[in-house]
Amino acid sequence: MRRGISALRWLVLLVAVVALNAPVIVTLVTSFKSDAEIAANPSLVIEAPTVSNYVRIFAMSDRFDILHFLTNSVVEAALGTVLAIALALPAAYGMIRFRVGLAWLFPPVVNLRAIPLIIFAIPIYLMYQAAGLLDTRFGLALILCLVNLPLVLVLLVNAVRDVPIELDEAARIDGAGPWTILLRVVLPLVRPMIASSTVLAFIYAWNEFLFGLMLTTRDAVPVTVGASFFFSASGGGVQWGVAAAVMMLSTLPPLLLGLFAYRHIGRSMTAGAIKG
Amino acid sequence: MARRKPAAAPTRLGGRRDGWLMIAPLTALLVVMLAVPLAVDLVYAVSRVTFETLRAPSVIGFGNFAVVLRDGQFWGAMLFSLRFAVLVTAAELLLALTLAIFLAPLLASIPWLMAPLLLPMMVAPALVGLMYRLVLHEFVGAVPYYFVLLTGDSPSFLGPDTAFWTLVTIETLQWTPFALLILYTAYQSIPTDVREAASLDGTGPLQMLRYVELPLMRPTILAVGFIRFIDSFRVFDNVYTLTGAGAGGDTTTISIYIYEAFFRRDDIGVAVAASMILLAIAFAMLTVVLRWSERRA
Amino acid sequence: MRRILQAACGAVAMLALGGASARADVTVLGWPGGPEEVALRATVEAYNKQPSVAADDKVKLIFFNRDNFWDKLQADLAAGTAEFDVNLTATYAVGRYAPFMDPIDLPAAAHTTFSDGVLKTMQFEGKQYGVPTDLSLHFLYYRTDLIAKLLADPTWKAKYTEIAQAKWGKALAPKDPDQWTWDDYAATALFFTRSLNSDSPTRYGTVLQMKNLLFNMMVWHSTARSFGGNWTDASGAVTVDGPGYRAGLELYKKLYDAGTSPKDSLSYEFAEANAAFGSGQVATMLQWNAAFGDLDNKEKNPTVAGKIGTVAPPAGPEGRFTHIHGLGLGLNASTKHKDGALKFLNWLATPDAMLLYAKAGGSPALQPAIVEKIASDRPDLVKLGDYAGKYGFVMNGATSAKALQIYQLQAKEFTGYWAGTETEDAALKNVAAGMAELLKK
Repeated sequence: MRRGISALRWLVLLVAVVALNAPVIVTLVTSFKSDAEIAANPSLVIEAPTVSNYVRIFAMSDRFDILHFLTNSVVEAALGTVLAIALALPAAYGMIRFRVGLAWLFPPVVNLRAIPLIIFAIPIYLMYQAAGLLDTRFGLALILCLVNLPLVLVLLVNAVRDVPIELDEAARIDGAGPWTILLRVVLPLVRPMIASSTVLAFIYAWNEFLFGLMLTTRDAVPVTVGASFFFSASGGGVQWGVAAAVMMLSTLPPLLLGLFAYRHIGRSMTAGAIKG
Repeated sequence: MARRKPAAAPTRLGGRRDGWLMIAPLTALLVVMLAVPLAVDLVYAVSRVTFETLRAPSVIGFGNFAVVLRDGQFWGAMLFSLRFAVLVTAAELLLALTLAIFLAPLLASIPWLMAPLLLPMMVAPALVGLMYRLVLHEFVGAVPYYFVLLTGDSPSFLGPDTAFWTLVTIETLQWTPFALLILYTAYQSIPTDVREAASLDGTGPLQMLRYVELPLMRPTILAVGFIRFIDSFRVFDNVYTLTGAGAGGDTTTISIYIYEAFFRRDDIGVAVAASMILLAIAFAMLTVVLRWSERRA
Repeated sequence: MRRILQAACGAVAMLALGGASARADVTVLGWPGGPEEVALRATVEAYNKQPSVAADDKVKLIFFNRDNFWDKLQADLAAGTAEFDVNLTATYAVGRYAPFMDPIDLPAAAHTTFSDGVLKTMQFEGKQYGVPTDLSLHFLYYRTDLIAKLLADPTWKAKYTEIAQAKWGKALAPKDPDQWTWDDYAATALFFTRSLNSDSPTRYGTVLQMKNLLFNMMVWHSTARSFGGNWTDASGAVTVDGPGYRAGLELYKKLYDAGTSPKDSLSYEFAEANAAFGSGQVATMLQWNAAFGDLDNKEKNPTVAGKIGTVAPPAGPEGRFTHIHGLGLGLNASTKHKDGALKFLNWLATPDAMLLYAKAGGSPALQPAIVEKIASDRPDLVKLGDYAGKYGFVMNGATSAKALQIYQLQAKEFTGYWAGTETEDAALKNVAAGMAELLKK
């Protein structure tokens, strides 16, 4: 019975991975097809696999510098994520433990997610223009932090809420100040949620298109914007093979982050569950 | 045995001043980044402003709001977004909860298995929409090809009747991993002693699920549901790149409506006014949800 | 003392910021990712090599991405950016960007290079806003092998006439595509649709681009115009709710409803239509001229390469027409290098520069005397110039400031009619009302 269920779990996992990743799988397959084959063979079985699409991307580096775009994305998303966590964790703690801001700060921040941020695009453009932040990595990272604050705050507020206040109080009796309690007592316990928030925030930051489009021209262009060098989504042709290859390349950093974070989360989650 | 106090207990840890210091960095960033844009937008919302007059809007009062509220397209877009969000959120929560709970032992023993489950989120939605144009194409797409192999014919995926369902499916497939990740984390965070105590009392696994685990996960389920609802309500990238506004405007989400008002109709005041209305609705919804969850907790 | 200190601070600040903005060259923003980009790079390289070009006037190129290019350009121009001195513009956007660009006075040589009609594609309110570097128009694409068989095989000919009578109400006989009217086009589309004719070698007779997209409206306008449709009459009154537009709309709807175009046509545009035609399962297509290069390439579309014919779109009762519009380069009003930029633009409009551009892959519509110099390298350009001259048209008002919005309004309403979610009358009424609003001065 045990083994039967275990086998069933593997089966369900496999089906889930394939079903959820169907477009990614097709993209991957397409990236290894030549243009001729894309036009003639729609199946997932490649007749003549080729790396020509990938080669073409790197060969084009004087016109389309993918490494530059990827680096930009990594730096901007990482910086934005770190900032978001660094600001949201103390804020979550303050809101839950000190009841400060829960009524007037939390709702607006969360609602930020409901607004199509495009309406801030123009004022922020003008602001950045005046401050010299246009087309800078730091400038875009600030926006990416902003974009992720609602999500990270919600997740961390939830996580802090789950930590028994008795632990904080015990530490306070031992003479610890609030920042010490936060970093030494609470942080380790909410580590799984911090890790999850980091992965998610990085992904969202990585996927940001609109602000990347509006606020950069050349130096700080992220890969989501740069990738559309190979197509005009409306009114133009699409080089499917190369576009697919670019998409695959641009999923690598978040994927590697996810794999790395998961080794850690795995460990801290089981550790956290045993305590308690 | 330590029992956890309910979250709504008004226990404060210390002086309010420490609390203020904690929220200060976040508040400072918001003020610096958003105060000016918000002020500018408030002015835009009550002005006639175009790209030519960005720096010199002419205030006209609440006319923009009237235009928006009278616009059938606005309400059509709201309705579309609402239907879309409700269906997508329900599907994602159901799917994610089932997968999180069923796959938990497997994921716990081999943690990195989570990464391939998260992969769908890592492709930018705009690019996903683009890729689907190929994937669903009658002649060069994989999906119709396999449909024809298995059933002899392939349906129309992006026709007037089917586009909505295709979009719902695509969104669900891409973002179920989000819910899966958070719900799984929450599930794993349930302290073992709670589970142990319950099983010592003779609770079977299904009852454990229903009476112990799910209730403990409820705040997280609500949080995830809320986030996904908001996200799918304001979906833009994958819909825009896949079907655009849709034939006759029938896949226009509220974000697409605002984007088009902004860039296509060059009517920035109207676009901002529509966003303000959207914000007001979201605010009302959030207040209701927060109050409800605080009461039930 | 204070004044000196202030001046010194000012100077330091200027130097600090100035270093970034006082670039010693002219920056040109071009259209990325395609033959236009390659051609522009080659042309600029040649320009920079010229000894007559001062170091300060050398040209540098930047490219945004293609997606949302026009929206980003709009935002940047409106904010008064000086990141580029010369930027891309297009016939349908000249009016929109005119407030942020400066008109230019092209040298006399420009008239040797381009005909007046072509220069007009870059004009707004009588002023020239750009050098027309690439022209776009529509071809009727067809499979030469299939049409050849149709014209020769008696069984096919008989079936063709039979289907034409049954489904289109006229007993037509197959003709050479260059002689077609829209009825012939419809009959051929019906014939080559497998669901109507089990002997058809292709699944669909044609592929219509019916996505709610302004570029698809432009394709359809070639049809509407040949039935007499126009945006306004000479006095400026909106005339869309008339027989010309109706006939054009109904042609598309009848063909789609009969199943001659793929099921998902309502979400098809350039890329999807080309993929369908390139798969070999579609017999004819109304499409932009730019598609020919890739479709006829054996490496990219082995199934159909070498079997494609192109002619101007079929004729309607009011004549034979193709929509034309151009891409071009014009002057950013906020430029800090006006002289250098103008020098480049004036050079670009000369025959030698444009021949270079054409040789490197661009598609300018040149005067016959000029284009024959590269007729061996670029035979398609001869056709381009020829068709542009003979059949090209621009709808009345299509370069106005709100032209883009008019296209978008039409796209939304007319695709609604084609999808069956709106009646023809309602769609036309909405468009007429909207256009009256948008064309008001």
